[in-house]
Amino acid sequence: MPRANSKMRRLLAIGAAGAVAIGLAACSGGGGASDASTVVWSTWGTPEELTRFEEFNAEFMERHPDIKVELQPVASYSDYHSKLLAQLTSNTAPDVFYIGDDKIGQFVDAKVLKPLTELMESDASETKPDDFFPGLFGAAELDGEIYAAPNDSNPDVLWYDKQALEAAGVTEDPATLAENGEWTTAKYLEMNDKLAAAGLTGSMFWNYWATHYSWISSQGGTAYDDSGFVGNTDSTTVEAVETLGSYFQDGTFVVADSMPEGAGADSVFVTHKAGFFSQGRYTIGTVMSAGEQDSYDIVRWPTPDGQAAPTGVATSYLAINGKTKAEDAAFTFWTEFLSAEGQVFRLQGGGNAVPSIKGADEVVLEDGYPAHAQTFLDMRDIGFEDYAAEAVVPGLSTDVSDLFLKLYEGKADAQGTLDAVADLVAEKSGE
Amino acid sequence: MSSTMTVATDDIVAASARSSAQPAPSARGGLRKESAWRRRDRRWGYVFIGPQVLGMAVFVLLPFTASLVLAFASWDGLTELTWVGLENFTAQLQDELLLRSIVNTLLIALITVPIGLGLAVVVAVALEKLKTRTLYLILFFAPVVTSTVAVAMIWQQMLRADGVLSETISKVFGIAPPDWLGDPALALLSVCIISIWSSLGLNVIIFLAGLQNISPSVIEAARIDGAGAWRLFRSIRMPLLSPIIFFSSIVAFISSLQTFDTVFVLTADAGPDNATRTIVYHIYDLGFGRFEFGPSSAASVILLLLTLVITAIQFGAQKKFVHYEDEAA
Repeated sequence: MPRANSKMRRLLAIGAAGAVAIGLAACSGGGGASDASTVVWSTWGTPEELTRFEEFNAEFMERHPDIKVELQPVASYSDYHSKLLAQLTSNTAPDVFYIGDDKIGQFVDAKVLKPLTELMESDASETKPDDFFPGLFGAAELDGEIYAAPNDSNPDVLWYDKQALEAAGVTEDPATLAENGEWTTAKYLEMNDKLAAAGLTGSMFWNYWATHYSWISSQGGTAYDDSGFVGNTDSTTVEAVETLGSYFQDGTFVVADSMPEGAGADSVFVTHKAGFFSQGRYTIGTVMSAGEQDSYDIVRWPTPDGQAAPTGVATSYLAINGKTKAEDAAFTFWTEFLSAEGQVFRLQGGGNAVPSIKGADEVVLEDGYPAHAQTFLDMRDIGFEDYAAEAVVPGLSTDVSDLFLKLYEGKADAQGTLDAVADLVAEKSGE
Repeated sequence: MSSTMTVATDDIVAASARSSAQPAPSARGGLRKESAWRRRDRRWGYVFIGPQVLGMAVFVLLPFTASLVLAFASWDGLTELTWVGLENFTAQLQDELLLRSIVNTLLIALITVPIGLGLAVVVAVALEKLKTRTLYLILFFAPVVTSTVAVAMIWQQMLRADGVLSETISKVFGIAPPDWLGDPALALLSVCIISIWSSLGLNVIIFLAGLQNISPSVIEAARIDGAGAWRLFRSIRMPLLSPIIFFSSIVAFISSLQTFDTVFVLTADAGPDNATRTIVYHIYDLGFGRFEFGPSSAASVILLLLTLVITAIQFGAQKKFVHYEDEAA
């Protein structure tokens, strides 16, 4: 091979160095806008949701020709926050971004989000603090300051399968009982017993904060008060958790997370093998795609006296980057995205969530499905987000769920579980 | 060989002999002046090696150092870093999840390494004399060059309750198929099966090369002494293959200790009841799932130490089962 001349070698060296530089530049990824008229925002979502967001962007830019909006999507929720964290650390985060309710406390605590109370109360705002349902702010509010607002919500209602209930010999309709104030814990457990006796799954729950705390709250117990976790010292709570644990342990209740791939909770539910399934409005999509929607309706969580009680409402939040260079444009986008009109635009047509703001409830009721769709709204109105004391500590909510899982699997008793939760919360909160 | 080439080789040999025999330049009163072409070559050498060194520094040394530092700190990536001394280590060593991760990881290593290597030896021996072995090698090697994420996704579809494997078991045997990914006892086994399957091709190639490297004269001598096929395999080929088995076992063990992507994709959230939670998944979960970078870094230091200890044990044990051809001679 002829010896390469020095010019050739110099070119090669420059090329190699250039490749490294380009590689490093590529690794740094894109971030927020560098000018005041471009808003970069990010979220996770399914392809259908992301398409709806792109439609929102297009419509927004039509109304605001001076503002350019770019969506930076992340397909998976599990990858979303680590990417956002890396972007925030390297000052390349988007101007506006979603945050999950299990992470919002940390971001608020870290003071990386723009304080919004003053802006929300200004004339430019279409989203006054009072427009939102107060229970949904959760850990997005700290010391009277709002750092993010719920983009929408999903109360965990009890979806029920009329065919499964009928197969188990249940003659009463849960939603009708609820309307009459007769939807009691005793009735609910009796239906579950019948379902189990018929060889069906009674109820399916996801192992997360909304399941444990909705049950405790609906049974009249108290998980947290101003002093922290008190569930282990409240006899009503202990008794409620004992009942919950025993139904999981005998297999009448099932932890949906532990169900096998391909025979997961969704498929069990649409094949009429379970009576109840605790999920949000997104279940409409599941039952519609299975062509089984006629069999299903929803009901709130049962209570000892049959009267409605607050239960968990899952949500995610929209925040503005504390270091955005497009402050005004970002707020315009933020407030319109969250406004009643914005939420109607995003959630209409069998949408997957319930508005978090007043004045947009028509999207939940417009299709008349499920028959008791009003229940979504009623539960949202009085519901609560994950307790801030828990949500602000990284990983605490997951660790608490791990302790409850031991109870559900029969590896711990109710008092032991609640004591362990109290110890864990105290330890992780530095109390 | 051309005469020019012979001269050049002779020069190199002579220079090499001189450099080892003669005292160091400094001992003869300072460095000799380097020739201009040598200096130029050295400069270009630095230029060409630069990107590699830079890459190592940025993507290996820097994160390694950062991880080492973070192991002694509390940091969530957002707020200020605070020093906590050995607290992360003591907390991690008492953490049930880390202990579970270590047990799972060691189980994966202890199942996959011996079975994987044993199977590879058997396949390599079976293929050694086969004329169509290239075809088989391609088939066995295909999973090695396929992304582990893709492999895990394909297996996930096969192992689903309504997947091909489960449906086949159900139809052929008329029984309910095992819950491969949902049963805590089977989930880890599923990960092991996939790991063995996906690494088989590489080990077969290595062992095949090792078998073909054994000196024919040694085999011939054994045959003349009356050794049969089994005796030949047990007393000659296996012992002479042992250095390669040793090398492969170290690589496979370290690789098993780093199991992550299969678990991450195949069994989301480390499987039912953390049944497939490995150490690297634990490190990922703490760092990027919970933003606890201090404990996550401490766990990664623990993994490093564990790897060193296991490798040291393997090096210690090799004296008993590794045989080299020159030793035999």
